Formats: sequence, C-alpha cells, structure tokens
Amino acid sequence: MTEKPQVIGTASGALGLGAFAAAVGGCCGAPWAVALFGVTGAIGLARLAFLLPYALIGAAILLGVAFWSVYRPAPASADGACVSQSQRRPLRILVWVAAVLVAALSVVAFSPFASS
Amino acid sequence: MRIVAVMGCSTMALLAAADCSGVGDQDAAPSYVALDDQASELRADFNRAKGSVRLLFVIDPICPTCLRGLDDMNRDLLASTDDPRLVTFVVHEPVLGAARVAPWLRTTASHDVPAAAELLHNPHVKHYWNASGAFGRLLADSVDLKSSRGRVYAWDVWLLYGAEATWSDAEPPRPLLLMQQLGALRDSSEFPHLDSRVFAERVRALLAKLPPQGGSPPAPAPKTP
Repeated sequence: MTEKPQVIGTASGALGLGAFAAAVGGCCGAPWAVALFGVTGAIGLARLAFLLPYALIGAAILLGVAFWSVYRPAPASADGACVSQSQRRPLRILVWVAAVLVAALSVVAFSPFASS
Repeated sequence: MRIVAVMGCSTMALLAAADCSGVGDQDAAPSYVALDDQASELRADFNRAKGSVRLLFVIDPICPTCLRGLDDMNRDLLASTDDPRLVTFVVHEPVLGAARVAPWLRTTASHDVPAAAELLHNPHVKHYWNASGAFGRLLADSVDLKSSRGRVYAWDVWLLYGAEATWSDAEPPRPLLLMQQLGALRDSSEFPHLDSRVFAERVRALLAKLPPQGGSPPAPAPKTP
C-alpha cells in the first residue's frame, strides 16, 4: 500500500506544526516557558509567536492531504485488485486521531491564557 | 605536605572568589525592593526623581511576552544611554497561571525577578516586587484601563511620564503615553500596542526638551532597512 508513508508523513507533519503552534501560542500565557527554556529561550519563543497562524494553516493543509489520501477512491494495485476498505481503516483512524490532536493543540495555542 | 598546602590554598582562593561573586560584586544579580500595597516606596522614588523623564514598566517576570518587551526596550533605548535625566521603574507582579484568582497556586515568585531584571542594562533602573499584585489594580484604576468587557488588570504595560509629573494622590498620575501588550486591549486606540522604537522616540523627544546634564543621551534609533 503506497499511500501508507504519505498518510503517516502528512499526519505527523500536521501534528508537528500543531505542537509548534501550541508551544509559541501557549508560551506567552502559561508559566512554563521560563522554567523550561530560561529567560533567553522564552524570549525567543515569544519572538516566534507571529508564526502561529501560518503553522496552523500548514497543519490544516497537511490534514486535508491526509484525509484526501485515505478517503479517495481506492487505487488499483499492480495485479488489478482494489485496496480493500479494511486495509485503509488503520490509516483512517490515524488521520482522525491526528485531527483531534491538532484541534486540541490549536485550542491551547489560542486559549485565553495564551496572550497577556 | 607541600601538595596538601598548595591544594588548601587553592581551595581557600576558590572559596574567596565564590564569596566575592555574591553580595557586593558589581556583576551580582540586580536587587529589588518589596513593594507594599500602597506602593509607598515606588511613590517616594518616583517623586524623588521629579525633573527627570520617568518610565514605568509593569510586568510578570516569567511572562515571555513581557520579557521580550524588556529586551526590546533595552535594545532600542536603555542600553544605549546612561543619561541621569532618564529614570526607569520596573514593577514585577505575579499574574501568569492562576496567580490572581488563586494566589495559593501562584507560580511567579520573587526569585524570578533578578533574571528578568538582568535584561535591562542601564544604571538608572530600579526594580520592585509586588507579591500581592495590588499595584496592577491601583494602576488600572488610575489610568482607567478598560476594554468593552470592563476593567483590565494592569500588567505588561509600559508608561512614560514627563519631568513635571508628580504622584500626589493614592494612585499613580496619568502618563503621557501608555503602551501595552494585552489581548483584552488589542483594538484599543487610546492605549497602543507596544512598539519599543516609537516609545524610544517619544522618550528622546522629551529628553531633548530638558536642560543637559552628565551622561550620554540615548543614541538615535538605528535605521530600519
């Protein structure tokens, strides 16, 4: 199944961008940045805050690609047989889990505590 | 025996050096004054500096956005001058986390102040720690800091006072300029979002009107590409 690496790659990329957005968005309101990264690191994180919307847009695009990959009409394999729906189920679960996690990370990024 | 003696002397020298790196060393962490709920010490210092341009910064010392603001102020204004006509007061207060609604969950503590204070490299800066956070309410009342939803607690705010300002009432006087980085005041036209370059320009304009004294005035803002 050639779509497997593509789905895993795009879902992981979306999660990574979501985590980045949560870090730069949540850093400014949560009291952990200085403890974890020190004063200089926390300032650096605050300076990256302008990237937050771009990271979330990127995550949404990657999730869209992942959903398209697992819900498009199944491509025929080399011997002419179609990929069965049951073979795609784990990938669909993976994409849905990634989508839920990215949504949760977006909430963290835009939480009321995320901006001073 | 000789080796033991040399080692003993080395140890003593190291201990002495370690001792010297604490209190009394010029490179020691900046000190701060504990502020009472009436901000008495700040008020006295503010009035004592009458005749100077005064800056008042109110921050949480573990708030990354506030720290970035301090760093910007240092870069664009304070690091380039030792002008005694410019005096800066920084009030640190606990805000992040649940500090204001559940003080027992407070995460910001006085030991966070020195690391934040080290961001400002200017001989005329004084730091205060207001553990109760009462100063934020006092200042919010005095400058009428509010959004469409109501009163906004004063922190991550950056105030500029002229040489003639006097703190005569219980509350601080109204500033010439108040900039802020508060989400609740994102669309405020009265209190613009912090722009350290604009802030520095206003400070330089005020200093230019004062009679000259010792010290080098703030360097002009670097040209932006």
